[in-house]
Amino acid sequence: MNTTKRILVVDDEPGVTRSLKLNLEAGGGYEVTIENHANQALTTARHIRPDLILLDVMMSETDGGEVAARMEADPLLRGTPIIFLTAIVSNEETGGHEMLKGDHAFIAKPVDLGELKRSIQDHILS
Amino acid sequence: MKTGFQRLSDWPASAIKAGSVALVALVGLVDYLTGVDVSVTLFYLVPISLGTWFAGRSTGLLLAGASALVWLVADVLCRAVVGHPFVPIWNSVTLSLGFSVVAFLLGALKDRNEDLEQTVLERTRKLRDEIAERVRAERELKETNVALTTAREDSQRSFADLQEAHSELQRTQFRLIESAKLESVGRMAAGVAHEVKNPLMTLSLGADYFLNRHTENPAEAVLVQDMKEAIHRASNIINILLDYSRPRPLQLTSQEINRVIEDSLTLVRHQLNKGRVTVVSELRTDLPPLILDRTRIEHGLVNLFLNALNAMPEGGTLTVRTSLTTPAGNGSNSPRCVIVEVEDTGCGIAPENLSKIFEPFFTTKQPGQGTGLGLAIVRKIMDIHGGTISFHNRPEGGVRATLKFNIEPKESL
Repeated sequence: MNTTKRILVVDDEPGVTRSLKLNLEAGGGYEVTIENHANQALTTARHIRPDLILLDVMMSETDGGEVAARMEADPLLRGTPIIFLTAIVSNEETGGHEMLKGDHAFIAKPVDLGELKRSIQDHILS
Repeated sequence: MKTGFQRLSDWPASAIKAGSVALVALVGLVDYLTGVDVSVTLFYLVPISLGTWFAGRSTGLLLAGASALVWLVADVLCRAVVGHPFVPIWNSVTLSLGFSVVAFLLGALKDRNEDLEQTVLERTRKLRDEIAERVRAERELKETNVALTTAREDSQRSFADLQEAHSELQRTQFRLIESAKLESVGRMAAGVAHEVKNPLMTLSLGADYFLNRHTENPAEAVLVQDMKEAIHRASNIINILLDYSRPRPLQLTSQEINRVIEDSLTLVRHQLNKGRVTVVSELRTDLPPLILDRTRIEHGLVNLFLNALNAMPEGGTLTVRTSLTTPAGNGSNSPRCVIVEVEDTGCGIAPENLSKIFEPFFTTKQPGQGTGLGLAIVRKIMDIHGGTISFHNRPEGGVRATLKFNIEPKESL
């Protein structure tokens, strides 16, 4: 049984996506695909069928909310857990942890790696 | 009361004339009866004087002529023509002249007397008018004085109102400037947050990666840990900016303020112990519950405790006291308030800085040691709860922060 989980990271900052990939894959158990173009995110997601998507909220081409809506509307991707990464909420608002707003989880940037891994684990298991 | 002489002046002129003529006739009769040996000539002056005085100079002159004539008749009848007939006529003419002079002089005296009386009457009237005028003027002066006093009191009240309005305007202006600052901080914070947090995230994850590689070199491990802490501090400042500038709805619940204080103290207990700060709690036990956002108030209290800690680098005493204001005066409508005082035994606030401590970004700490937002945040938290905060240097040294909570919260909360 293949326990490696596929994660798609969508963020227009290559430094962020690269470092996330490096850290998540370093611990083993995750295969991370990077997408730096919000407009390509849907196509890439359809191609790799990820177990979870990490999605930046504020991106230059299309904002994260719009990308998430397109994925929700896609029969292949519907139900895939999405964790939003956002720079414009503070730790006080998220309580230093993941914050749920509607059906979505938010984690404040810069993320705490341990907290991010716990959150990914929770969402993939659920 | 009038004398008999004065009463004569009230008689009509005709009565005086008739009486005088009758008197002349009476004197003439006496003159005739007494004969030439007894002289009554001077008695003719009585009717002449009365007539002149009370009926006028012309009457007097007529009476003088009549008296001379009566004297002539009496003299002639008494003597029965002795000697030359011209003598009695001459005497009568001379007497007539003498009587006329008396009548004339008396008339003049009378005229002068009347003029004097007229003048006295005129002056008395004028004086009376003047007195009446003065009384009226004095009354007007009094009325004007009363009006002036009222006007002065009004203007004093207006001045006090104006001063109050001016102070209110200054306070509003200060708040407006602060909100303008706040707004610009808010705009800046969102932009800065996005632009700074992404690079910080790259750095943070990079540091995490190296941290997890378990290097053999302990100096490298410390270096990476230092990087993580630096990133955390930078990120924290952005978070404070975001929290300060973005209004969030209050989560109001009924709270025991003493519990909130004790829990806030617990949050900083370790730091206070490390800084050799002794905590003294003087918490009144019968306080009513307050409607407040517990997280925000805890945040504000922690800021105050940390400020006190920073003010006592050599250690000291942090006193936290709660009390209840007593209603001012009899039946006063001023609401009762719960007072929370936080005192330190530190170096105090320089007088020139007392008015600036609530300004966003004002700090006396070294660069990198504080954002200058701590007290601005506490003030904002108190503002949105409808309470107040003030700072005073204590005479015995150190600072007292006084937080005042209305027991009945503002309706707008």
